[in-house]
Amino acid sequence: MKKELLFSGIGGQGVITLGETLCDAAIKAGYNVTFVPFYGQEKRGGRTMCNIVVSDGVESPIISEADIMLIFDERSLRDYQSLMSEGGTMILNSDLVELEPETACKDIRRIPFSTMAQEVGNSKTANVIALGYIAKFLPMIPYDLIAAEVERSFAAKPKLIPLNLKALKTGYDYTDR
Amino acid sequence: MGKKEFLQGNQAMAESAIRAGCKLYFGYPITPSSEVPEYYAKAMIERPEEGITFIQAETEVSAFNMVAGAVATGHRAMTATSGPGFSLGQEAVSYMSAGDLPGVIVEVMRPGPGDGEILASQGDYFQAVKGGGHGDYQTLVLAPYSVQELCELMQESFELAEKYRNPVILLSDATLAKMRESVELPGYVEQKDPASKPNALRGCGKNEPHKVVTCGDGPVQWEEFNARLQAKYKRIAENEVRYATYNLEDAEIILVAFGSMARVCESAMKMAREKGLKVGMIRPISLWPFPDKAFEGITGKKFLVCELNAGQMVQDVKLAVENKRDVYFYGKLGGTTPSPKNVLAEIEKLGGESK
Repeated sequence: MKKELLFSGIGGQGVITLGETLCDAAIKAGYNVTFVPFYGQEKRGGRTMCNIVVSDGVESPIISEADIMLIFDERSLRDYQSLMSEGGTMILNSDLVELEPETACKDIRRIPFSTMAQEVGNSKTANVIALGYIAKFLPMIPYDLIAAEVERSFAAKPKLIPLNLKALKTGYDYTDR
Repeated sequence: MGKKEFLQGNQAMAESAIRAGCKLYFGYPITPSSEVPEYYAKAMIERPEEGITFIQAETEVSAFNMVAGAVATGHRAMTATSGPGFSLGQEAVSYMSAGDLPGVIVEVMRPGPGDGEILASQGDYFQAVKGGGHGDYQTLVLAPYSVQELCELMQESFELAEKYRNPVILLSDATLAKMRESVELPGYVEQKDPASKPNALRGCGKNEPHKVVTCGDGPVQWEEFNARLQAKYKRIAENEVRYATYNLEDAEIILVAFGSMARVCESAMKMAREKGLKVGMIRPISLWPFPDKAFEGITGKKFLVCELNAGQMVQDVKLAVENKRDVYFYGKLGGTTPSPKNVLAEIEKLGGESK
């Protein structure tokens, strides 16, 4: 088993945190995991991207093709759509990405993560909703492990735990087709 | 088997250095090495029982010289830096070499020249391996390719530095430094009394004095001084070559790569094998001394050297192989790292024999 993931957005959207949380859960599920972040020199508003590989054996931390790609802004789409696997799933935050992807990938999902976050009650939870949504495509990482890692990542701000668990569930339960 | 933890390269490496008995850290923060000084600064405050000292110098020039001064007392000391900072430290590396001082330096490569960028590169191979400072000196250069190896070679750097009383450079890069993966942290290394180490300065008492000398007192004497250094480098070259080989038995194409690029190549090799292409790999771990002997006696094969630079290690490979016309190069200039699929495409261009 090998899954290659690429998540990309703008600094502050929580794409890197989303990736790290997923990795922590994948480790608990017993897989080999590598996480490599890429970001610019800007303190805020720069590009942020991460490569994640979840596998049984030791693999290159640099991905060849994304089985799952999460895109939170249009520049990310332009930069990384060429790395999309034809048979994979491309997930776009439709509130922020209007561009039509140029890719052979058939499975493109446009999900309004930002709108959903406002409905959940906090626009900052868009990344956690996206994590919940992605979890459906990675059944080998049990949902409960991911929820436990979301909880752990907010250990310093326990008041925010219920909100974020709700956001995670909202993403996980969302059906788009 | 100990506990595996999911840690970042820089942080796991810093913890391994502390456990190797390196209680003195001098540095100036620079991406992508900044988590190392940050880790030491925190450890100094949070683990007072371990007696850790962290000093943020005003520049890398000072940090490198602080390392030189500290190791002259027999204590273990290090600094970590990247590109521009590594350049600033080169004068001190030359002096440490002359003074037989076992300083340990981590260089986390990022693409230059100039300020460059902050992502992965291997563009400082020449600077690390061929000597960025002045004079006929050599430093041991070790190149890990996983977080686990980063930790193990971090500890080994201190052992080798003291064994040969010579600076050691641990050559990391932005991918290894920023990457998180599972690692079993190495344990604590028991330390002798620093003052009892042969590299510790001694001026008085019953023992033979030990002085640090970096300048000559005559042309004949300086020739002898340098001859002694060269004899030491010969000893190191004979004893400290490190490399790994993969699938060489039937390989038609042999990838040659180090550091994070070797990690990419390992996956590319697997993909090629699945397609029936006979591909192997030689992975230099010690870049100096360069593992010439890994190439000895291999004829009639193609060597594909893959680097994150315009072609630096490839020159050493050409010196090591039987026929330099067998050597091909694939490189990216840093910032973006080729994927296993990109390397596979290069292998296919060379036409590995399919069966």
